[in-house]
Amino acid sequence: MSVRQIDTKNIYYPPGGILMWIIIFLELITFGMGIVAMINCGKQEPGLFHESRLLLNPVYGVVNTIILLTSGFCMAISVYYLKKSNKQKSKILILATMLFGVLFLIVKTIEYKVKIDIGQTINYNLFFTFYWLLTLFHVIHIIVGLVILGSVYFGLVKDKTSIEDVESSAAFWHMCDLIWLLIFPIIYLFF
Amino acid sequence: MKNHIIITYILLIVLTIISGLISGVEDNGIPFVILLLSVLKFIGVSFYFMDLKKAHIFWKSAIFCYLSVLVIVVLII
Repeated sequence: MSVRQIDTKNIYYPPGGILMWIIIFLELITFGMGIVAMINCGKQEPGLFHESRLLLNPVYGVVNTIILLTSGFCMAISVYYLKKSNKQKSKILILATMLFGVLFLIVKTIEYKVKIDIGQTINYNLFFTFYWLLTLFHVIHIIVGLVILGSVYFGLVKDKTSIEDVESSAAFWHMCDLIWLLIFPIIYLFF
Repeated sequence: MKNHIIITYILLIVLTIISGLISGVEDNGIPFVILLLSVLKFIGVSFYFMDLKKAHIFWKSAIFCYLSVLVIVVLII
């Protein structure tokens, strides 16, 4: 595995790479616009949004936030160990990151199943339209993140992955954290 | 550096639990406190987990600009 010193103070080399950061900002802007649209609609129908918000179980949201933050923590420590040339610990922590990612999907699936069983689907009302669109779009990012982490893990096993690749995939994974940190309070707690 | 990540993680968990607990309180100011806590968590993840604190000032400013615009728009609405 190649380890090369990169000056992250250089504007063209942020941690994770400039292209990844362009993607991160595009994603954050996209989700930001969705959140602003949701709050705007919520101000027009505050009663509906408040009552609908109460139909959600915030415990799912809090548990999923803790799971996602824990996976982000594992990823950050994994990059730290890789920079210290401790590939073995780094690999284990990438697996732990993926495990928490899968756990997030399991909790989300349970929550979705409960919602579908009682008929609170995307057509239920405007609040639930936003709920499904924003959370499902985020879930797609988590799945893509898991595929990327899996690819990086096997790259590390075969010694074909550079530290820049791991940093980029870590940046993508943390982006999923950032998006969730924005949509969780708005959907589960704000209204 | 490892200690910074661990401390950030503990703070993020504490802030998340506080957000969950205060969401049940009936007060007009609570949504904005929840928003403020989210902004703090966002900064924690981006600066310490993503190592943005070591990046060029442009990227740090970009994150602060994004958060400022989002919060201002939410407050205006």
